Amino acid sequence: MKRTIVPFGPQHPVLPEPIVLDLLLEDEKVVDAIPTIGYIHRGLEAMVDRVEYTEMGFVVERICGICSFMHGLGYCLALESIMNVEVPDRARWLRIIWAEISRIQSHLLWLGLGADAFGFENLFMHCWRMREEILDIFEKTTGGRIIHSVNRIGGVKRDIADSELVAILARLDELGSAFDATVKVFGSDASIRHRLGGVGILSAADARAVDAVGPMARASGVRMDTRLTGQNLYDQLDFEPVLETAGDCLARVIVRMREVRQSIELVHQMVDKMPKGEGMPLENKPRGNPSGETFTRLEQPRGEVVYYVKANGTKYLERFRARTPTFANIPAMIKLVKGCDLADVPNIILTIDPCISCTER
Amino acid sequence: MANPFRLPMAPRAIRNLFSKPATRRYPYDIRPRFEGARGTIKFDVETCNYCTLCAKRCPAAAITVSRENRTWAIEHLTCIGCNVCVEVCNKNSLSMSTDSKSVHTHAEVGPQGQRPGHEEWHSPAPEPAAGTASKAATPAA
Repeated sequence: MKRTIVPFGPQHPVLPEPIVLDLLLEDEKVVDAIPTIGYIHRGLEAMVDRVEYTEMGFVVERICGICSFMHGLGYCLALESIMNVEVPDRARWLRIIWAEISRIQSHLLWLGLGADAFGFENLFMHCWRMREEILDIFEKTTGGRIIHSVNRIGGVKRDIADSELVAILARLDELGSAFDATVKVFGSDASIRHRLGGVGILSAADARAVDAVGPMARASGVRMDTRLTGQNLYDQLDFEPVLETAGDCLARVIVRMREVRQSIELVHQMVDKMPKGEGMPLENKPRGNPSGETFTRLEQPRGEVVYYVKANGTKYLERFRARTPTFANIPAMIKLVKGCDLADVPNIILTIDPCISCTER
Repeated sequence: MANPFRLPMAPRAIRNLFSKPATRRYPYDIRPRFEGARGTIKFDVETCNYCTLCAKRCPAAAITVSRENRTWAIEHLTCIGCNVCVEVCNKNSLSMSTDSKSVHTHAEVGPQGQRPGHEEWHSPAPEPAAGTASKAATPAA
């Protein structure tokens, strides 16, 4: 049969990021897909040889606008492990509270985009209206809506007053009930079921074989979550990753929906367990320059992210590398796209929650 | 399912008919920023001793300080609002206000080489009997 190549991207119908795929079609079926990475490469990792390690955190934070908090956190954790800096207890709890809130923000953003992708524009608006509440919490506590700049090597720069924490919990509960009322549509609407159910199925064995990470793997029933390692105080929380077994596009939506509820629950647990009080220490300043190398792993909203840092005793790092979750999920995405209909390609690509700014850095 | 007509969005849609819109009419209704939100850097020329620490620590190199000429300048469009200069200032000359950065048009970068967002202060060297330092140069453009 005659084959056609359709260039998909850099403009995605919904996603405002330049993902580039060349789709090889036989009639309407996709036979092969060739991704091109690097359309918006900015060379952020190479900036380490001219940006001091203390200032590099602000660059790393700007890798991506959605997971900016987690990127800043991962960089600081890596440098802290090299420099043996003990982070004060309250600062560690504050960090993971912000991290979970940013997960809610990211999933709400994605659920909105997903709704828009299958033609549910008012659901998209509702999701983004709820996300605005989260951004308000961020602006109030960190000073920035998207770029928070509260993480420093050795701690955090701002405290959240205990009364403010209680107010945040109340706000999150309110958001949770509004979320349940609105977002149940994702699970119950017939048109969404038709559009997503049974489309782009990734089996658990395949998910392991192509090393899918994050909600992508969990939607296929793979119990994989970096938070399970117990790092960053997650061992003190009652936590079990959200799993779905269907592995199709709908399962990936449902996993993210349930993770929003789970994150609200986790923030409750964190506020219960964190040390309370005013004026507690928040930062231990590092001394000297870092020397050595390390890997750090974190569970971002999109999955596992890995940071590699190599320092040589000067104020400039020798090497910095971030392996972002979208990069890890691209093989899984290519596997799903092969054999599907052309009309399903935008949805399948969107359900891996691609973040191209992260991937191409 | 609770809704007999299988219209899960219906209660929400009906409520929206009678509630306020979620958006604002922006130019007329401006959302107040929260206390502590990071906006623009404010400089107090009276207290600065031109130690250049802020310029050294600025990740974006937006601040230039000259100890000899006693000038302090900032490029607001280069500033990333990270708050580092405010944290390191020993004299508390710098503060972060919640005002958003002002908007500049391309036309402002004229042939005269005006720099939109550039602000510069100069204070004369302190003399024993002299009065307080004064703001000599006003923001360009």
